[in-house]
Amino acid sequence: MKKLVFLGISAVFGCASGSGGGRVFSPEWQNDGGKSIAAVQARIAAAKVDPGPGVAVGVTDTGLSGVLLDGSGKWKHAGKVDAMPSVSGGVVVATTGGSVVALDAKSGRKLWQVDSEGRSLRGAGDDGTTTVVSLGSSSGGSSMFLAVERDGNVSRKFKPEAEIGTPAIQGGIALVPWGNQYVSAIDVGAGNEVGRLLLREQVSHATNLGGSIYFGELSLVRFDDRIGQAVQQQGTQVTLPTRELPGKPLWFSDGTTVSPANATARERIRLFAHPNGSELSGGRFAATYFRIAMGLGATDGKLHWVTTTKSDVIGGAGTKGGFALCTEDGTVVLRDEIGGDAGSVAFDQPIRGCAVQAGSFTVARGKPPAPLPQQIAKAIEVREAEMAVAQRFLLRELGALKEAFVTKVLIDLAENARTTPMLLEDARQLLSSRRTGAEHMLESLSKHYDFLTDVLRPPPVGPMADALSAMNESRAAPLLARHLNDPANTADDIQRAARALEKLATSSELEELKTFFALYRATADQKELVNAVLSVARALVRIGGEDGKRVVRDAARDPLTHPDIQAGLGGLVPAEAPPKAAPAAKAAKG
Amino acid sequence: MRRTTHLGILAACWLAFATAAPDAAAQGKTKGKVTATKIDAAKIKAELESGNEKRMLAALQQVEDAEDAGKAAAPHLEALARRGASVPVLSRCLEVLGGLKQPTSSLAIAPYYRHRVPEVRRSAAKALLKTGGPAAVKALRAALRSPDAQVRGIAASGLGSLNAREALPDLFAALSHNVGEAAASIGQLCKPEECEKLAGYLGKLPFDVVTSGFDQILFRSPKDMGDEQKIRIVGRLRELGTKDAGNYLADVAERWPKDWSKRVKQAVDAAVKALGGATASPEDE
Repeated sequence: MKKLVFLGISAVFGCASGSGGGRVFSPEWQNDGGKSIAAVQARIAAAKVDPGPGVAVGVTDTGLSGVLLDGSGKWKHAGKVDAMPSVSGGVVVATTGGSVVALDAKSGRKLWQVDSEGRSLRGAGDDGTTTVVSLGSSSGGSSMFLAVERDGNVSRKFKPEAEIGTPAIQGGIALVPWGNQYVSAIDVGAGNEVGRLLLREQVSHATNLGGSIYFGELSLVRFDDRIGQAVQQQGTQVTLPTRELPGKPLWFSDGTTVSPANATARERIRLFAHPNGSELSGGRFAATYFRIAMGLGATDGKLHWVTTTKSDVIGGAGTKGGFALCTEDGTVVLRDEIGGDAGSVAFDQPIRGCAVQAGSFTVARGKPPAPLPQQIAKAIEVREAEMAVAQRFLLRELGALKEAFVTKVLIDLAENARTTPMLLEDARQLLSSRRTGAEHMLESLSKHYDFLTDVLRPPPVGPMADALSAMNESRAAPLLARHLNDPANTADDIQRAARALEKLATSSELEELKTFFALYRATADQKELVNAVLSVARALVRIGGEDGKRVVRDAARDPLTHPDIQAGLGGLVPAEAPPKAAPAAKAAKG
Repeated sequence: MRRTTHLGILAACWLAFATAAPDAAAQGKTKGKVTATKIDAAKIKAELESGNEKRMLAALQQVEDAEDAGKAAAPHLEALARRGASVPVLSRCLEVLGGLKQPTSSLAIAPYYRHRVPEVRRSAAKALLKTGGPAAVKALRAALRSPDAQVRGIAASGLGSLNAREALPDLFAALSHNVGEAAASIGQLCKPEECEKLAGYLGKLPFDVVTSGFDQILFRSPKDMGDEQKIRIVGRLRELGTKDAGNYLADVAERWPKDWSKRVKQAVDAAVKALGGATASPEDE
């Protein structure tokens, strides 16, 4: 079966060849069950991989700008880049003006420059001696692999037909993902393929994360002494929990394509995590959506923190202890693993794209963040239409929290005239199912539409009526009764307020109820108002004594009463017994 | 005829019409067909309780036609309002109650300024202007906060004629929220320092809006508003130095009662001269 697959691939791909050994990227390779890659790993295990400094490289209008995450330095490099730069270990690689350029990650000093042959950067790796670079056409295809020594000598070049992804290198062995399932181990010196890894999951990246090499795209597998078992999915696997997140963010983009230098929506909606063996550093990963970044649980995807940035997050990395998030205004925001503000470093100018390497940098513990409901509330306050998807997600998260403060946030949102219709509807729905925060609801219900004080959106009367009724909150009754007769409330809100009053009203609300009944029993022009009148009628029968019953009975008989209301009133109060004739009258008749 | 029509004049005219309309209508009808007669209140009551829209409307018409004699039926109309009815019946009932001008009716009318049907709530607000009394003032002050701009306008224009001085803060708030009708009421109610506050709106609100208030101040009886304040208002207009101000003052000069203060008249004339206000225009001739 496997053989057939490989033969099929062979028909599609040509083969690049280097000098000596196995042919690189050969489609005729037979699955060796992880033996060859395990042997390669054992051979180079002693060669340390330099994690490199923590650095953020921003794409500016004129070139590149680097800032070290620990604040120890900044640099600039002139020359417009045509693809997102790549940072690996101590080297930054970019394609600019027809060349591949390598810069020292700490100082920005140019290390070498070679011809890109019209291609743009896909990704690069470095082991302190040799830099491996994957290039391609920005429109796809034209893969080219380069190995460049520190002196700028191109020691190896391949132009495979297969699309190759972001490579890494350790101890002179280049690790090149390709064909979405292979990682070829190529002896850069000899030019032959010395081992190959077959992965069952998509792989287009070989990347140095904190001094360890990982392969993958959707998930990662570490290049360690268990790599031979990776084909049986027994390697050191790092997977992010599956959960629906706004914008469907990805951890890694497709490494076989050129990422544009200017961040697109894809880079603004991303996942960041820092693997530590098979786990994630700090037990968290981060998801970004434009100006919102969220910290989520590594195992369950549970929301732990939310931070709102001044401009879009367009790049970043998980680090030890937290996250470094690059924002479009030229700031690298540092957040610890619990979302605490751990400071920031700045490029001193706006940036268009950003690549971040966590390297050896550790985010120190920051200021304790505000409680999660407040963090979410702040994120929801951002009035930008493009944030709506993330805000709806956060609103659902908020609604699941029990704190009374959440109720206040939902009320504020529902009362704010600037809240988008979509969020307003969500907030109202969540409010109706709240069972905490009654005090906030009562406070809100005490307000009415008021032209003179600029209260131009009435409170969410209906949802709060539902919730307060479910909480048996009798203090709501007078407030709800007043809202019945406020024409600024929607008919739906009135209907729900009346339904709550059916249960909560006391004799103190009798006058408001009678007024409402009188005003609408014959003028209700919407189904919701008809229902509201019937609810009020039931309340009148319950609390209004004989007078209440009489009002309902009279209305049931009055031809002017709305027919649906009349029908509904029929069964509420038994018809009055005809008055008994006085004995004297009887006698007179007789 | 002066070519400039001032909102103040319009508002005053509207108010005059609003408060006098039923009488005028009744007079018209008297000429045409019915002479005001006594009514059978018990029969009216029975008709209003009939549940028959046609008969109810006819009974309401009868009450309206009866003019002063109709007042005897006011309690039955109030009871109808308290019971509720269809939109046509309610609107008419409120209108007729307004015409009867019974302050006791205000309590029954008041809830209707908040009705969801615009026609009903506007009828109620108009009726309250005529019935007056504390309940009407309370309801109309609240009506200034209404989501219905027409209701706000009716309330703002009527509180002055109801002499509701306690409503002045609300009227100023309404004026700040571009409820122009509040200016005339403020002009009717203000004391000198409050009149000065109104004058402070010159240049901030449309000229016609502010002068609708000034008009009320200038033409308040000499007993109610002293010369000093009137001269101050004239001075504020003169300071404005616009042609509109000149024209307005020329109009004031023309309307100024002959037996009223000569000092104020002199101030007005001097201001007209200084501002070059038109005393007559070729188009008007």
